[in-house]
Amino acid sequence: MEEVDKILIHALKQVGTEVSEDTASVKHLTGELIVEAVARCIRVIDPGLGSPLPTSLPPGMSARFRVGTSLAQACQDIGYKGEIGYQTFLYSNEPEIRSLLMFLVEKLPRERAEASDQPTGKSVVLQRAVAAAIKAQLAVPWLPPNCRLPLHAETQSPVALHCFHAQPLSLPHCSKGPGKDPLREVQDYQREILPPVTAQPSHHASVVAYILEQHAAELSAAQEWDNEWNSQGLLSRLTPQEYRSRKLIRLRKRVEEQLHSAALPSAEGDFGPRSTSDLSDLLQAFRGSTPSDHILAKGSNFTHTQKFTFTQQPAAAVTGPSVPAGHQSESDVQLRQQEEQLSLQQQFQHLCSEFEELAADMKHMRVTNAQVLDELKQRELGNSENEEKMQLKKKTIDLLPDADNNLLKLQALVEASANRVVNLASQWEKHRAPLIDEHRRLKEICSNQDLESSRKLSEMKSLHDKIRVSTEEAKRKEEIYKQLVTELENLPQDASRSAYTQRILEIVNNIQKQKEEITKILSDTKELQKEINSLTGKLDRTFAVTDELVFKDAKKDESVRKSYKYLAALHENCNQLIQTIEDTGTILREIRDLEEQAMLMLPSVTSHQ
Amino acid sequence: MLTFQESGCYPDPRCPGPSAGTPPWLSQSSPPPASGNVWNMAATETQFMLSVGLIEKDVNGDTLWVWCFPSVASDLRKVLLSKCCLTQDARDFHTFVFGQFCRTWYYITTVEVQEPTALNKVTHFSIVVTAKDFNPEKYAALSRILCRMYIKHGSPVKMMEAYVTVLTKGMCQSDENGSFLIKDYDVRKAYLAGSVKDVVSQFGMETIILYTALMLKKRIIVHHPRIEALLEFTRVLPTLTWHRKDWSILHPYVHLSDPELEDLKKCPGYVAGFVDPEVSNRLDLFDVYVNLPDGVITVSQSAKESMAMGKLHKDIGHLIVQSAEDAERSDSQVIKDISVKTKEILANLMALADKCEDSKITLEGLKQHHFPPATENFLFHLAAAEQLLRI
Repeated sequence: MEEVDKILIHALKQVGTEVSEDTASVKHLTGELIVEAVARCIRVIDPGLGSPLPTSLPPGMSARFRVGTSLAQACQDIGYKGEIGYQTFLYSNEPEIRSLLMFLVEKLPRERAEASDQPTGKSVVLQRAVAAAIKAQLAVPWLPPNCRLPLHAETQSPVALHCFHAQPLSLPHCSKGPGKDPLREVQDYQREILPPVTAQPSHHASVVAYILEQHAAELSAAQEWDNEWNSQGLLSRLTPQEYRSRKLIRLRKRVEEQLHSAALPSAEGDFGPRSTSDLSDLLQAFRGSTPSDHILAKGSNFTHTQKFTFTQQPAAAVTGPSVPAGHQSESDVQLRQQEEQLSLQQQFQHLCSEFEELAADMKHMRVTNAQVLDELKQRELGNSENEEKMQLKKKTIDLLPDADNNLLKLQALVEASANRVVNLASQWEKHRAPLIDEHRRLKEICSNQDLESSRKLSEMKSLHDKIRVSTEEAKRKEEIYKQLVTELENLPQDASRSAYTQRILEIVNNIQKQKEEITKILSDTKELQKEINSLTGKLDRTFAVTDELVFKDAKKDESVRKSYKYLAALHENCNQLIQTIEDTGTILREIRDLEEQAMLMLPSVTSHQ
Repeated sequence: MLTFQESGCYPDPRCPGPSAGTPPWLSQSSPPPASGNVWNMAATETQFMLSVGLIEKDVNGDTLWVWCFPSVASDLRKVLLSKCCLTQDARDFHTFVFGQFCRTWYYITTVEVQEPTALNKVTHFSIVVTAKDFNPEKYAALSRILCRMYIKHGSPVKMMEAYVTVLTKGMCQSDENGSFLIKDYDVRKAYLAGSVKDVVSQFGMETIILYTALMLKKRIIVHHPRIEALLEFTRVLPTLTWHRKDWSILHPYVHLSDPELEDLKKCPGYVAGFVDPEVSNRLDLFDVYVNLPDGVITVSQSAKESMAMGKLHKDIGHLIVQSAEDAERSDSQVIKDISVKTKEILANLMALADKCEDSKITLEGLKQHHFPPATENFLFHLAAAEQLLRI
């Protein structure tokens, strides 16, 4: 209950009801508040229904009764199904009020998110940006000139102000006839020569004024057309173009009518252009006349047709090419056409000469304008210079009577001012230098901090990357672990692990022992080989020495010669013996190898068999 | 150490420059300096100086306007910051630039700070001097002194003392065993500092287009990507109309920004220098466009009719070219030759004017003399420029 009440009271506050802070539940709401709340809710839900409803209870009983019934009616119109009447508001009852308020609050339209409604697009974005910028500028409060900061300079300084001077702009879409394209020459002009809207005003600062005026004019014209169309145009049941063309014809007739009625007193069949005074009289008559509807509406049909037939002739006279009556002869027609042609040619010549005159005038005007402006500028400058000089001379003249004294005084004054100014400058320097230093120091700190922060950012980034990589690794390893665990569970459980490990360990031990034995044997073999080598070497050396010794003596003595022969033979035989032993060893090795091979061959032979 | 890159333009006042000794006919109307009393001289010259400002670039890369005396309006400040090479992204460093904005001449000297110095955290700084008169050499020399003082003492107070001394006395001590005297910098020297011969040697007979445009107070735009070349070239052009001695038409350094273009448009005729090549698309800004690196002069369509040239122009053109090609004649003599010819034409025009009533020329009056059409057109427009035309 309390929650519901809180929500209800919050919603009522949002609608605009002035509920005080400490009303926590519906039963604390007074009758007035209830009426106000309900009325406001209905206004939000359905403005058409809710606007005539009052938000406060009037004092009189009958008035209150009326208000109550109207509120109840409104609630029922919205769709409240429960029992409701004037008694709900005048003699309020907590559960009824609660259910009514709940119904109304639910009916309140939800606030939709703004962005989803509005269309997107570059121009809309631009418009929103412009609106935001203008809003921001308008939000800046006006400050008196001495307090202005540079950020106000653009919008508030006197330099930013310009007079509102507006003149018509030429825009390409302005020149239109209903439904027909503009002429090719006009199009060329618009495309190539007509400057853009921002270049048309004489001062760049007046562009805003021109555009505002143009826009306001177009906007009001569009609104007027809308109003007219909505009121009269739709009633006439015509398409917009037809309505416009009929209106045009109607207005033209009105103008002709006026001109005709004003022209009738003067000479009829008057060809040439009217003088200015006649035209102004005409316009005066036109302005002063009663609304034109009367002119058409008054009189019977007969007078209308009469007037219409009469309009044709002078209208023909005023507007130029006449409509030839049907029953004139051919030659007359030709004559008339030739006359017309001549007159037109004359007019054309006249216009050409006028044009040339105007061109020459314009050129002259331009040049003289430049001269005058130049002179004006020079004179203005001369004036200001002369004024300054005059001021100076006036002051000098005032001081002339006591010239020497004044000169001395002036010199002293100038020196004193110079000293004072220098003094002020040094004082200012005392203030300025620390401020500039402070500014620079803070800027340095700022840039250092920027560096620091960017460094830290890059560090953070690298850390993030590392974290990411590590998490991926961890995930991968987890998966592998899971896989292996499942595989392990699937493996057969019969063989015990310990037996395997024992065997493995034993084998490892055996291998270790064998390795040791092998190394021992190898070292023994090496020792033996070394011994053999040294003995062989010793033998060779000994034999060489003995041989030499004996041979030296063998040349002289016979017995030594014989002993030498025995020595050689001995050496030879021993060598053979050693050779034989080596061969025996080699053959034994071969036998062993062959036996091994035979052992290997044996199973394959038996399998073949 | 400060060095100047352009040798020919800003001669040291103590050594005689190329246009040594102003010829007597040029210094006719300058007032003789009052003997003795320094105060007299200072009065006429120093009231041209308007303000001095300081722009610094520090180790953080910021360019700030840190100090000025007496004060500089905020729009002028913005323009000056944009002209100072420290705010521009390009690496180019321009020691000295000058220009005009709202009839105020500004002279910007930029210096790189070398260690060791009293200025810490400052890598470069510029001194901006604004004044009413055109005299680049004078203000360059003054700025040099102020720069040195600023570097030495590290505070603008000493600099300001020197500036105030110049303002009140017209001179100040420089720390190079010399002194800066305003009277050393005659404005005529500034007018003659450029070289007309260079202009004529680059453009030959086409110089007559520039001459015509200047005489008729047309709008000339010159483009060159390097600002120093632009300054050197454009300051010479007003010498072609020496009889006017009007350098206020000169806007040697303009950017394509709204406030500057608005200011430019206020002048009926001008010589404007742009570093930005985009200006060639702005046909509304010029009657004559000079592309300096390519050496091409173009006349815009709208001005072709008034700038039509005939035999008279050919004669003048020949005279200019001949005079410039003569190796014996100096720049000032060439200018003299041109101005003699100009005076001749103007004397003729005045004679024509005197014949008419109220001594003003009309087109009909000109037509009566049956000049060739180009000459007639030229005289008509020239009369307007010289304010001899009847309105």
